[in-house]
Amino acid sequence: MKQFFGMSQRGNLDEALRGLHAPQFIMLFSNDGQFEKHVEELEKRFPGVPSIGCVGMSYQTQVVEKGVGIIAFSNGVRAAANVLEQVSTMPVKHIQRLEADMKAVGGSGENTVCIDFCSGNDACVLTTINTSLGKRSIPLVGGTGDQGKVSANGRVYQDAVAYGLVRNENGRVKTYKENIYHQLGNYRFIASNTDRANYILGSLNGKPAKQVYKDILHVTDEEILTRTFQNPFGKLNGNDTCIISIKEVHGNALACFRQVNDSDVLILLELGDYKAITQETIQRICADFPRRSAIFSVNCLFRYKLFSQHNYMQAYLQDMAALGCHAGLVGYGEHYNNRFVNQSMTCVVFE
Amino acid sequence: MGFFFKKQEKQAQEERSLYPMLHIAGSLKGYRQELVQKEVAALQELSLVSSSFSGVMREADLFQNKLSDLGDSFSNIDEAAGQFGQVRGDIAESVTGAQAQMVELGKISAAVQASYEEMAGTFSQLQAAVNGIQQCMGKIVSIADETNILALNASIEAARVGAAGRGFSVVAAQVKELAGEIKALAGEVSDGVSEVEQRANELSGRISSSQETLGLGVGIVSQADESFQTITSAADGASAVQSEISDVIESSQAELQIICRFFDRIKDLYQDVQKHINNASNLGTTKSAMFEDMDNMISQIQPLVRDIENHSSLKS
Repeated sequence: MKQFFGMSQRGNLDEALRGLHAPQFIMLFSNDGQFEKHVEELEKRFPGVPSIGCVGMSYQTQVVEKGVGIIAFSNGVRAAANVLEQVSTMPVKHIQRLEADMKAVGGSGENTVCIDFCSGNDACVLTTINTSLGKRSIPLVGGTGDQGKVSANGRVYQDAVAYGLVRNENGRVKTYKENIYHQLGNYRFIASNTDRANYILGSLNGKPAKQVYKDILHVTDEEILTRTFQNPFGKLNGNDTCIISIKEVHGNALACFRQVNDSDVLILLELGDYKAITQETIQRICADFPRRSAIFSVNCLFRYKLFSQHNYMQAYLQDMAALGCHAGLVGYGEHYNNRFVNQSMTCVVFE
Repeated sequence: MGFFFKKQEKQAQEERSLYPMLHIAGSLKGYRQELVQKEVAALQELSLVSSSFSGVMREADLFQNKLSDLGDSFSNIDEAAGQFGQVRGDIAESVTGAQAQMVELGKISAAVQASYEEMAGTFSQLQAAVNGIQQCMGKIVSIADETNILALNASIEAARVGAAGRGFSVVAAQVKELAGEIKALAGEVSDGVSEVEQRANELSGRISSSQETLGLGVGIVSQADESFQTITSAADGASAVQSEISDVIESSQAELQIICRFFDRIKDLYQDVQKHINNASNLGTTKSAMFEDMDNMISQIQPLVRDIENHSSLKS
């Protein structure tokens, strides 16, 4: 298979599509002002080709912040794209679509991946999607788009998740999640007094969450928000840690960028040696896949900001580009199988 | 009649209604909520168990460190006892050296004593010689006395002869004078010899007392040798004590090793328990993820049922 990346910093779709021939699956990353127009134009250019899209920044060797980016697969993939609507309340309503597409694309977890762009209620959406994908162990990589809208097959949807099932007909696929944080101290908290709808974390081990965070890090209320790059929370799930970013202070509680549930076990994280960690991921990918056709990744907006602050983003993209054809999306949240995480990088590698 | 139809319609609506599903969903939600609360409590308990057990492990570590310190102390005692053995060796060596020197001193004393004895012999000979001189001097005095008498007799004879014997009388007077001088000289010599004898006797007394002192010294040397042997045997006794101390330490260290191995096994078991606590804790974290999944699915039932009901009522 082959991966195409085209972009236009000016938002010119034709410019972004230059050089793209016979795509079998297309992803569109546009800006808020041009999204609908780009979706329509793309469908006209490649009618019937499965496509999904969202409002968001894309990248290959540089980030396209306000223009348009296109990532497309060709030469050896079988793909299907569709959408689940009303995701804020019942993403399961149209789950049969996904199951029908799974049947049409065939494949298994070895050679097929689901890529999704969601407009919100991500955790619920991922749980729902995974009830179907899990039957065939098909992995998922995706992210949250901006402005609460996504596109699938030439149509724009509000309150929906657009998904594409992509089967690599010439090799394996594998998904990865990269966490550049590690545990701070030996703190272990049991969350309670949570409000899952508003992503509120009320108490940690029975004490007000804000005070616990402040006491450990010796910060003021105002400084809490500045520490989320450095010290987010981690939600433990077996041996896995899902990062939870702090959004704002909410009375004595903390509002997060992801839902927290009563009985969630949380730890406090601190930024690790991100350069070394990204190199480890690259080496792991190289070890798993000596020959790589394509790599699609979703990098958190916070990671983009953090790397940019440290003048590392460009070097990071160059390092990832050394893997081969790498491109991706800057997301507002990242999806990895059935888990919704923050401040992470998830990616799928095609052999 | 109208009432009957209304009743039938209501019954039909009830049959079409998905309320029982909502009821089940509500109940499931309630159960889930309760389950989550119990899970929070269970996790908190598990956290307390883990924390308490960490305390137990810390205390066990401390105790093991103390045991290790005790082992070090035993080693130090053994080392000190070893140093004591070294000191004992040094004493034995010094005693042996001193003993050799004492033997040498004994030999020298014996040689001195032999010299004293030779000196005593020489002194006897000297005394015999002095006696000989005194005897000779007595004879000389006797001869001088006889000479004096002879001179006196000669003077008397000369006087009787008259003038012819006047010259002889002079000679006799001179002989008498000479005999007197010889007697006086013999007396002086006799005094000198007596002085020599007195001094010689004094010397003899000194030599005797020196010999006695030397004899005492030789005795002391013999006693010192005995003392050295006593010291050596005492040091050997101390060596046996040191050996016993080492044996006791060795046996204590062996016991300590057994206790340490026991603690190692306890520690392994503690770590095993800690591992299981962690596993239980990890399972708890996966459960919370499943609760989230359950909640995510259950929360969709209500809107879905409402949606289906709305569609049904629109169709009818």
